[in-house]
Parts: sequence; C-alpha cells; structure tokens
Amino acid sequence: MSKFTKAFLFASIIFAPFVANAVTVASWGGAYTESQKKAYADTYSDPSSIIFENYNGGLGETRAQVESGNVTWDLVDVLPADAITGCDEGLFEDISDEIASMGVPGPNGESIAEDMENNGLNYHSGWDCCVPQIFWTYVVFYDPDAFPGEKPDSMADFFDVEKFPGKRGIHTWADGIIQKALVADGVEPNAVPTVFANQTGAIDRAFEVMDKIKDHVVFWSAGSQPLELVKSGEVIMAVAYNGRVGAANLAEGENFEYIWEGQVLDQEYLCLTTGAPNRDAAIDFMMHASSPESQAEQAKYITYGPMRASGIPIIEANEPWGPGGVDIMPHMPNTPERLKVSIVNDPQWWSDNGAEISERYSAWMGN
Amino acid sequence: MEDCISTSALLTTDGVPLKQSLKKAERKNKLRAFLLVFPLLLFIIVTFVMPIGDMLFRSVDDSQINGVFSNTFNEYKKWDKEKDVLPPEEVYKALFEELAYGEKIQIGRALTRMNYSKSGWKSLIKTTSREIKKAVKKDELPNNYKEFLISANDKWADPTFWYAMGQMVNNTTPIYYWNALDRTYDQDQNVVMQDEKRRIYIKTWIKTLKISVYVTIFCLILGFPVAHLLANLPLRYSNLLMIFVLLPFWTSLLVRTTAWIVMLQQNGVINGILVWLGILSDDGRLQLVYNETGTLIAMTQILLPFMILPLYSVMRVIPKSHMRAAQNLGAKPATAFWRVYLPQTIPGMSAGGLLVFVLAIGYFITPELVGGKDGKLIGHWIAYHLKTTLNWGLCAALGAILLGVMLIFYWLYNKIVGIDNIKLG
Repeated sequence: MSKFTKAFLFASIIFAPFVANAVTVASWGGAYTESQKKAYADTYSDPSSIIFENYNGGLGETRAQVESGNVTWDLVDVLPADAITGCDEGLFEDISDEIASMGVPGPNGESIAEDMENNGLNYHSGWDCCVPQIFWTYVVFYDPDAFPGEKPDSMADFFDVEKFPGKRGIHTWADGIIQKALVADGVEPNAVPTVFANQTGAIDRAFEVMDKIKDHVVFWSAGSQPLELVKSGEVIMAVAYNGRVGAANLAEGENFEYIWEGQVLDQEYLCLTTGAPNRDAAIDFMMHASSPESQAEQAKYITYGPMRASGIPIIEANEPWGPGGVDIMPHMPNTPERLKVSIVNDPQWWSDNGAEISERYSAWMGN
Repeated sequence: MEDCISTSALLTTDGVPLKQSLKKAERKNKLRAFLLVFPLLLFIIVTFVMPIGDMLFRSVDDSQINGVFSNTFNEYKKWDKEKDVLPPEEVYKALFEELAYGEKIQIGRALTRMNYSKSGWKSLIKTTSREIKKAVKKDELPNNYKEFLISANDKWADPTFWYAMGQMVNNTTPIYYWNALDRTYDQDQNVVMQDEKRRIYIKTWIKTLKISVYVTIFCLILGFPVAHLLANLPLRYSNLLMIFVLLPFWTSLLVRTTAWIVMLQQNGVINGILVWLGILSDDGRLQLVYNETGTLIAMTQILLPFMILPLYSVMRVIPKSHMRAAQNLGAKPATAFWRVYLPQTIPGMSAGGLLVFVLAIGYFITPELVGGKDGKLIGHWIAYHLKTTLNWGLCAALGAILLGVMLIFYWLYNKIVGIDNIKLG
C-alpha cells in the first residue's frame, strides 16, 4: 500500500461521517443499533457510506422532516404500526416495485413477502414502503435462584400471586401486558389478536385479569429497568424485551429463564423516507439489510430473530452462532415451536385502538 | 405670520432649520438602533413567536381533512339526525367518490386524524377503500351507494361512527381543547365528559400543578438555609460548599435520576438502612420510587440549585450590619430575621421560585423514569401524542393550556409580589 493510499484511507475513516452522499439511518441506539452496524453496515459493499443516528421511536420527527421539506434521514427503523401509518400518510415512499424486483431472494427463490408468509404472517399491503428486519418480543423472565421449589412456566403463573407471591415488573404502556392477560385467562396465544378484534368486552376482560396483580406490580419505563428489578430482587419476575434478557445471559453471565408462552412478538421495519436525499443508495442498502444472510448475521450480536423465515435455518446449521461459541437458538423468539405459543401483535388493530387503550391503561395504573 | 415664524426659527450653519436637522439626526439614530436590534428581533420572531403561533394555530386547525372530504362534509351537515338514523344517500355517494378519486396520501393523513375521534376509523376507511377501488377498476359503480358501503364494511351502518364524523366537519375546531380536558362531543355536538375509564388529563393537570407547587416549596425550605450558610461563611469555606451545590448541577440529569432509583428502590440504600436500623420490618419496605413520591423527591433534588443560586446571590449582598442594627435597636433575633432580613431576600426567593416552578411544570425525563404508575406529568402525554399517535392537534392544545397556566401564574405573581421584585444577583 502506498503512502498516498494509506493517507487516503485514513482520511476517509476520519471524515466518513461527513461524506456528503452517505445514507443516514435513524435507529433506536444502544446494543440494537450496534448489532445493525455490525450485521448490515460492516457486511455492506461500502460500509463507510452508512451512518446511524439515534432516535426514540415514533413518527414525530419523520413527519416534521417531511412536512418541512428538510429530510435528513434516508431510512428509519420503525415498529410495524408506524410503518403502516407512515406509508399511508406518505411519510415513507412506496417502493413495492423495487422491493419486488431488487429484494434478495431466499434459498429457494422466495420473495421477501413469501419468506414472511412462511412465518405464518400475512404480508400487509401497508408495508409497501419498508423491508423487514427482526422479531423482538415482550417476554417474561425470572431468576431461577429466586424459586427454590416450583418454577413458574406459564402466563397463568405470572398472574397468580397466590401460587407465586412477590412483585411483578411490567411496563408503563399497554401493548404487551393486556394481551398476556388474555392468555392467562385461557385464550390460545395465537388467537389473542382476533379475540381483541372481534369480541366486544375483550378489553374489559383483560383489565379484570390485570386487576388481580395490580397491587403487586412495579412499573418500568426504560428497557434496562426490568433487568435491574429482577437482579436486585425488587420483583420476582418481569416482562422485558427479550434482547435485553439475552444480552444479560450471554454477555453478563446471568442465568435468567424465559417463559415463552404468551410472548408478544412484534416486528421491526426499515422504511424509506419520502424525499430521502440518497434515495437510490438507501434502497440498495435496504435490500442488503433484508437479505436472509444479513438477518441471520444480526442474531450473532443481539438475540432478536430474523423476520425472514429462511434466516433461521442459516443459524441452526451453523451453531454455535453466538459470540464466544455459544448456541444462539435457545434465545431466539421465533423458532417454529415458540411461534406456536406466541401472540403476534396485529399492528393494524393497534394503530386503530392504541390511543384509547393507552389512556385507559394509564387511568388504570393511576387508580 | 408663518413667514415671521420660519424666519425667526433657529437655523443650523448650512441653513436648514434646527428642528428639522435634529429630527433627521434622531431618525438616523433610531434607524441605527433598530438595525442593531433587528437580528435579535428576527431571531425572536423566527424561534419564538412563529413556533408558538404555529402551535396555537394547530390546536384549532382541522383544514386538512376538510380539504379531503369537503363534499361529504357538506352533505353531512344536511343530515337531519332526528328524522333519519343514518345519513342520506348523498353522504354515502360523496364519501364513495372522495375515497375513489382522492389523493392516496391526503386520505392517509386524513384517516390518522379521523381515528382521534373514534377508534377504528383507520381500518374502516382502509377496508372500504379497497372495495371501492375494486369496483371502480371493474367500472361497476353501485346503484345504491349506501348499500354498497355497508356491504363493504358493516360499520357504515353503525351511527356512532357517523356521529363521530360530526367532530371534523368544520375547518376550525375546539375539540382538541375539550379532549385535553377529558371532554368530548356527544352525537349532537354537545360537550360531555369522556368515558370514565379514559379520563386521564384533568387528573394529570392537577398532579402536574400539585407536584410543581410542592417541588417549589420544598426547594425553598431546603434551599434557604443552604443559601444563607453559603452567603455568610468565610469565602474559603463557602467556595468549598458551593462546589457541593454546583457538582450535581453539572452532572447529567440521567445520572442523577438513575442514582435516585438506586437510592429509593425497595432493595435500595434508604430502605436498606431503615431496615438495618430496625425502623422498618423487612416486609414493610417503603415504596419510594416508581410513583408520585419518587417524582417529588428526585425533582426536588434536581431543581434545588435553581433555588439556591439566585437566593445566594441576593443574600450575599445584604449587609450583615442590618441584622446587627436591628438587634441593637431592640429586636429579638427572630424578629430581626423576620422583619429585616427576610424582606430583603424576597427578590431571590421570587427568582428561584419562578425558575423552579416553570421548570417543574414542563418536566419530562425524570418523571418519566421514576414516575412509574402515577408519577407522570403532563409532558408525558405531550410526548406520547407527538410521537405515537401523531395527534399534533391535541399536543398543541395541551401545550397551549400549559402556556396559559404559566401566564396565569406569572400574572398572579406580578399582582402579589410584583415582577420588578425579581433579582438574579
């Protein structure tokens, strides 16, 4: 390598963030964004052309950028309900044609849509602006050392304070817990979204179940809190993001157990902002990030599951896939048998009813 | 006469009347002064007046949806609810056409808005749109639009959706303000209380005010002796003490908030010590965090420097001789303090109190983290609607009310204490 190339490389590393045509991706920060950098950007043909920025979720900033015409985020990492709303509102650009023609096919030639259907998901027309990324989940976990005798293993146990006395940690918003409540009341996990959508009184029923543990709850609002709560013994079990529990188990030597039954699976999408300054480069990166290989690669760094069904076999075939030679499959939320006992969030229903339920949930918490 | 005056008027050396010349010079000065403050004025207009104006406008604006469904809404206004359970055929027809030929993105934005009036609008419009598009594609326009829409989605036969539409049919609306006060419209557009299970805002408003007032009072009680001590110690001790005040002030807000969680939680430092001392039993540990108590404690500590610093700077310049003189003249120490010292600290108390109160009323991150089940303030709801529901109208209304509350307190303060009585040092 000549001196000149070395100097050039050095300069390009130092000044990478200032490269004018770099694709800016807004994501949630922390370990999650780190995993995206390693799995998507570092494996990309031109890693320096991808810049990650942190944001706090929601569509507020995206809408402000699009409305003011000053778009700085090319891609935004969003929850499915926001993907649908953003696509409907034109905050994200409809690129269904590009996704169909440029999307990386699965090993048997499946399109992205078909690959997602193999998970038992309906590919929703509102997601025309976005490509899939990962499954994450609201899962209940506990420290087995806190239960010398019988250990809890179902949602019924989580909501039964007589069988397992002690406090529970749940979050200060409604979407995970009110669905788990119905599972504790005997509804099949897979059927929970349809029960909410079609049975009048289902919401009242969920709140009645939650009333049973209300006096035994510590409410948390930041993703790191439930782990602290369980570690310090403040609560005996808690609902948490499974990636946080996985990181504690894999990287911090904890030995937490999951209760997969009634886990609430939710999804993450990468969407193209309308008026993105580097539209074409951004689309190219989207296709790379949504390939089965990239998605499987991400599981190395965080225990969220690939949304493309063909990502799972890649991990299974190459175990130990995790850092330091550990098996990662025990921590993946979307293996076929775990999908059977999961609630898959229905984003359309939540974007219809989310505001009303969250007001009601807050009233319930405060009373 | 006039000639006489003009000739007798004073002239400058170049023959121009002095009055005129002075005026000219003054105008120049005025212009220069104006040009000097102009950037500041522009800055204030762009960063302060315009955003607040925009916020106030958004809190009543409903024009976007009225642009999308103008015909439907016009027909809707002709519906006689006494006579017909459901709107007339014309309404269904206009809705069909506006959904069939309207711009997709504008409809998308409108349906986000519609969902605020009643949950379920989003999927109702989307499923209906799909059927309409199919029919238009096949060139099969229905004979009866009402029947067509009801067969596309039976919610079109549910009058509650039609009643909810009544909230949106005008270009400006007070509904966001009513929503921000737990109120909504009934079918005849009368203001009624929101469903009991959803009433959350009035409670949060009261809590926000209550906590802000408490935090201000606690800061005053805790900050006053500290500031007094700081102001009266010899400089080398007071400088050291000052560092204890400033160090937390410079520490990140998140660090301080998290530290309070560690201190206050049930297995935390404070409960641990109380149990160790035998004051509490092991099962009787206090719930000090993730509720209102936690919010109050953490906010008081975090905002304390804003009270101490103005108090200190005012107290430092009060001559010590005043207290001595009062006591020389026969006042007891308490009387001297009460009648001589305290009145002189009012400017500092005012400045500190107003600072702490204004900061507390809009506080967000600390209540969010330690507030848990019932310690969250109104900022939580503003952020929630800004980010999650995109209900910016409601955000703006909440913000406008917050601004109004602040102005009322400012006015009250001016009436009682007087705004000239404020001093930061």
